Order: sequence, then structure tokens, then C-alpha cells
Amino acid sequence: MKTIFHLIKKDYKLFWLDKPAVSLTFLVPVVLIYIFGSIFGRPDTAPTGIRIGFVNNSNNKIAKKLESVLDTTKTFKLVKNYTDDKGNVIKFDTNSIKDYVIKGNISAALVLPEDAFTDTSTSFKIKFYYDPKNQMEMQIIEGLLQQTVMMQMPGIFMASMQHKAKEYLGEQKGIMFNKKIASLVSQYYGVDTSKILNWTNFNFDEDTSDADTSKKTANVFKDILQLDKEQLVGKEVNNPNATRSVGGWAMMFLLFALTGASTSLFDENKSGVILRILSSPVSRTDILWSKYLYNISLGVIQLLVLFFMGYLLFNIDIFSNFFNLMLMIIAAASACTAFGMLIAAVSKTSAQANGLGTFIILVMSAIGGAWFPTFILPPFIQALSKGTLVYWSVEGFLDVLWRGANTIEILPYVGVLLGMSAVINIFSIIRFKKGNIF
Amino acid sequence: MISIKNVTKKFPSVTALNDVSLEIKDKEFFGLLGPNGAGKSTLMNLMIGYIGADAGDIYIDEEKISQHNLAVRKQIGFVPQSIALYDDATAFENLEIFGSLFGIRKNLLRAVIAENLNRVQLYERRKDKVKNFSGGMKRRLNIAASLLHNPKVLLCDEPTVGVDPQSRNAIFDYLVKLNEEGKTIIYTTHYMEEAERLCSRIAIIDSGKIISSGTLDELLQLLPYEQTILINKNKTTESKLELFKSFGKLLNEQEKYELKPFDHLKLSDFFKAMEEHGIDYNSIDLHKPTLEALFLHLTGRRLRD
Ligand SMILES: Nc1ncnc2c1ncn2[C@@H]1O[C@H](COP(=O)(O)OP(=O)(O)OP(=O)(O)O)[C@@H](O)[C@H]1O
Ligand SMILES: [Mg+2]
Repeated sequence: MKTIFHLIKKDYKLFWLDKPAVSLTFLVPVVLIYIFGSIFGRPDTAPTGIRIGFVNNSNNKIAKKLESVLDTTKTFKLVKNYTDDKGNVIKFDTNSIKDYVIKGNISAALVLPEDAFTDTSTSFKIKFYYDPKNQMEMQIIEGLLQQTVMMQMPGIFMASMQHKAKEYLGEQKGIMFNKKIASLVSQYYGVDTSKILNWTNFNFDEDTSDADTSKKTANVFKDILQLDKEQLVGKEVNNPNATRSVGGWAMMFLLFALTGASTSLFDENKSGVILRILSSPVSRTDILWSKYLYNISLGVIQLLVLFFMGYLLFNIDIFSNFFNLMLMIIAAASACTAFGMLIAAVSKTSAQANGLGTFIILVMSAIGGAWFPTFILPPFIQALSKGTLVYWSVEGFLDVLWRGANTIEILPYVGVLLGMSAVINIFSIIRFKKGNIF
Repeated sequence: MISIKNVTKKFPSVTALNDVSLEIKDKEFFGLLGPNGAGKSTLMNLMIGYIGADAGDIYIDEEKISQHNLAVRKQIGFVPQSIALYDDATAFENLEIFGSLFGIRKNLLRAVIAENLNRVQLYERRKDKVKNFSGGMKRRLNIAASLLHNPKVLLCDEPTVGVDPQSRNAIFDYLVKLNEEGKTIIYTTHYMEEAERLCSRIAIIDSGKIISSGTLDELLQLLPYEQTILINKNKTTESKLELFKSFGKLLNEQEKYELKPFDHLKLSDFFKAMEEHGIDYNSIDLHKPTLEALFLHLTGRRLRD
């Protein structure tokens, strides 16, 4: 028993001396738990400011009302204009907003058609264009949108009933019916008759803020609201779920592989192999270049294999936009290589490099969108996301595979990734020159 | 010829080499003897241009060695102090990797590798992974890997560390043979026996300074006395102290008596007297001057603490 105690004590001691292991055991999970917790755990962090396109072609009061309600909610930020090449701000119409969605500038758009609700309408028409490249985001947008619209249902319902009554009873009888009901109501409740008659001016907000009410009304009024959904992008994608996630997972493993490959420098140095290599006609720059090119090519091969497996297992279409996929693969591999070299450059030992690497890779994957879409993150973390190479890679791959983006469309991603690589590489080279790694 | 001229190398916490100058002639077996941390490896690293000196220059046949002069490295073979091999690769694969860096053509390289493996008795094991090799085998492969480009000069940085006596002898024989074939060999060690046995000229280095250099004989002459006779303490010897004193100066050390003989002493006379007085030869030990003694004399410390 005593022996076992001493052996256990020894293991704790060694564990404590191995700082990378300690940080992987405690620090990494704490940070990840924080990130996940801030997404799913805190009720006050429901998404806000989700950008959706909005076009209102109707002059109807209810439509106007809906627009102003959507304008004021925190949940959505309506995008109604765009800036053209010449810098002019132009109001969207139905076609241009669809185009905007197709190009991937926005994931959903709401169009209230001219006949959204006319004097004779018995239901309210809404056109919903969307790009489900990000399924979770789309579900949340739809849900929130329906909730917001449903809150306006009592008003629509009343107007709709009025129209129905007119339709069945005829114009005159309808008016009579309304007046009778109105006087009846005013008699009993002491409300001004004219107010009751003017249904469309009814203040919808007054008693509909109760979530329960809107939920109940949701079923009742299903056929009164005609939400006409149209998927604009990704309809022809074979396996949407796999297509969405393949890039993210591939990126994470690419990062692990390339960080591992870079930290092999430490092992080679420790064994004296680097010393031996440098005693032959080889310079340090040659070694760095060879490592760099080796890592990039390894990364490209790894990504190709992973995407090809995606094709074999999930029928993900990688061939119809292969050239652009290749561009993204090269950009992503070069950025990940730069990352791996940076980790090696700032570390002193291979254990340190692996600990630091694992930590940053997991955090970057979490906030960069490799595991789940970034829009569900709190805004300040979303801002951080855009600083990660994972974000630009995942978005780029999604654009290529999901929307079949062309070369010009993926240039921003490729550009950012190559730019990141360049900056990181310059920094690493300076570190390598200063440091005593080899 | 290799000329090391006034070389100084400083690390943040220590001056590893302090104004070191040496000349090593062609085909010499040159030893660099010094304790741990003396600066031996640092000097070797400078001689292959792995690191740069803070002051001074090193030339091989008038060509300056530097971190940027890659071509000059073809003249030098370097056996690192550690076993600088890829553990997961086979012996043959290792040599292929390192040989290719010297630009040896593939067909030629295969022949060269086979020859070098043969010379260190590892040809039969060429397809085994290095990690399955014994310590001695690894050391031999470590040397073979440095000879593929047939260098003029071979730098060996403690090439026998952690090797059993048998393997060590095999390595010595091989190095002596290489030297006889015309290679200049520079050999670092902290074993004085190795330096004494192998090297035609020796430099003793301590704390970054060359404290003495020359042939073994030249070095040993620096010692103030040539011989000491050690006498075990026992009943017989204790009763014959006067006899011993007639041959020289007797010092009563802790474990033994130390006799510093008079200049004219003939050993035959001494041993004859011992026999006559019934003193067993086994109680008597001739202590020859050694580099160890010289090092102690020069620095006040032992080579290996
Ligand atoms: N890269 C380095 N950075 C800092 N100090 C160093 C470095 N290399 C060597 N030193 C220091 O320089 C001194 C000489 O080291 P060196 O390795 O040359 O000794 P050595 O004679 O080869 O010893 P050993 O017999 O133990 O191999 C030591 O004090 C060592 O700590
Ligand atoms: Mg050394």
C-alpha cells in the first residue's frame, strides 16, 4: 500500500513538472467550457443583431407595422440598402435582395410582396428567401422571425376576419355586421365604436407581448400567415450536413498535423540530427524552407484526402468546383503551416510547443467556426473569430462547396489566409533567427 | 592543415572559448582533452560552421570556415557527441538521408553506404531500425554516417561515450585505420587513456582555454617528476621504511606510501632489494606520469570529478 502511495506521489510530482500537461488538463477545458457556456448557458446572450435582408413592396398598414416592429427589435438588423460599385447606396428590390443572398452576403431575406395584405386578403403573404449554408443559423432565424411576426397576428387576424365577413356577406351586409358587432361591443365594454371599426389601426402591441399568447396563436393562425419559403442556395448540394461540417473538421486536424510536423524540429535538434545536417553543405535557411514546403505539401495532401473521403463517404461534391477548392486548400495549408512554425518558433521545447499548440488549436476551432457556426457566439467573441485562420478557412471552404463560389468570390478568403501566413512567417523567421532552437 | 586563430566564443552565461589558437597538421591524429564543459564541443561546432565565433577565425587549407561557407563542409566529416540518427529509420535509410545531403549520386551512394557499413560491421544489420541497435552499434553507425562523402578531415566529438570496452576497441581500431589511410582526425575526449592511446598530438583544454599542447612525451615532461613508486601499507612494508628512504623521498599518504625516487635510481636495483627483504611485488606499484597527473598539476583539479 505504501509503495503504491509513493508511486502515485511520484506521478503527481512528474505531472506537476510537466506544465504543458497541466495546462491541457485544466486551462484548456476551462477556456472551452467558458466558450461553450457563454453560447448555451447564459439566457441573456440570445442572438442579437442578426442581419437579414428586407424589402417591403406593400403599402398596407399591417405590412408597414410589421416593418417598423422588425426595425425596432434587437434580434434583427434589417438590411434594406446596398452600396454599388460606384459607391451609391441603393434600396433593395426583390431581385437584388435574392442576388445578395445567392452571393452569400446575407443568409436570409424577407420580402413583403405588393399583395402582402390587400383590402380583400384573408391571409398575410411573406416571401422568405434563404441560404441554409448554416443550418443552425437558419433554424434560429426562422424561429425568431416567426415569433416576431406571430406577435402581430391578432391584428392580422382581425383584419382578415373582417375581409372574410365581407367576402361571405357582401359589402353592405358586411358593413352592417361590423357595425352591429361594434355597437354591441361598445355597449357592453364602453369602447368607442369607431375605434372598434377601425381594426387596422388597432394597437397590436398592447397585449400581445406575452410569449404564451403568440405561441397559442401560432397554430390557430397558421393558414392566415402565408410564409412562402424559397431556398436560394445549396438546393443541389448532395449532403448538406456533411458539406457544412467537412471544412471545419478538416481544418482542426490539419492544424494538429502541421503543428506536430513543425515541432519535429525540436526532436531533430535534441537528437543532434540538425547538427549533423548542418555539418553538411546545408544552411539553416534550407532547413526552414524544406520544413515549410514539406508542411504545406503535407497539408495539401491531408486536405485532399479528407475531402476525397468526404466525397466517398458522404457524396460531397468536390469536383464541380475543384479549381477553387484547390486554391482554398493551398491557402489554408499555408496558413496552418505558418501557424505550426510560429508555435515552434515561440516555444522552447517540443512539450511546450505541443501544449501551446493544442490549446490554441482547440480555442481557434471553437471560436473560428470549425465546430458550430460563429453567429451563435457572443458578439465580442465573434469579433475575435475573424482574427482566426480557422474562420477564414471554414468560410472559404463553405463558399466553395456550398455555393460553388468562383475564384473572385473566394479571393477575400484566400487573400486573408495568405496575408496571415506572410505576417506570421516574417514574425517566425525573426524569432528563429533570435532564438536558439537550432 | 587546420588553423584556429585566436577564437573566442561567448554564450550569455559563460565564455566557452577564450582566445583559443591551435594548428592541426594534415594526417595528424589530434586529441582535444578536457573535462565537462571545457569547450570541446563548442570548438567542434565552430570548426564545421555550425555556430560563428565572436572573435578569431578558423581556416582549413587557407579557406575560412564560417556559417555561410557551405562548400568547405564537404572537406569535413563530423561525428556529433550525441547519436545523431533517425531512430525509426533503418541503418541504410539513415545513411541514404545524410549521404544525399552531400549530393552523392544515387548509384554511387548505395555503393558507398555498403562499403561504410561493412567497415563498421553493420552491413548485415542494414535493414534494422536504429532504435533496435545496441549502444555500441549506434556509435559505429554514427561514425559511418560522417564518412560517406570521404572527407579529408574527421572531427569526432567524444565518439565512444557509453560504449562497452569491446566496441570501444573496435572504434579505436577503425579510427586508427582511417588515420593511417590519410585522414586527419581531431578527437575530443575527457578520458586521458583515449588521448594517450590514440593521439599523436594533444591539446589540453579547460574552461575555454588551451592550457597545454604537444606530443604525449612533450606534455609529460612538463610534470616536475617522472615517476612515483606506490607502496601498500602493511606490516612488512611498515617495518622497512628506512630501506625505502634509501632509494628516495618517502611520503606517508593516507592509503599508501609514495616514494619519489632519486634521479640516479635503477629500477632493477630497487626490485632486487625488495626481493632480498621479502617484500611482495604485489605491494609495489610503479606509477607512471599521466595526463591525469599533468592536468591535476596544471589546474589543481582532476579531469573527471
Ligand atoms: N548553446 C549554448 N548556449 C549556452 N551555453 C552553452 C551552449 N553550448 C555550450 N554552452 C556552454 O559552454 C560551455 C562549454 O560547453 P561545451 O559543450 O563546449 O563543453 P564540452 O567540453 O563539450 O563538455 P562535455 O565534455 O560535457 O561535452 C559550457 O559551460 C556550456 O554550458
Ligand atoms: Mg561536448
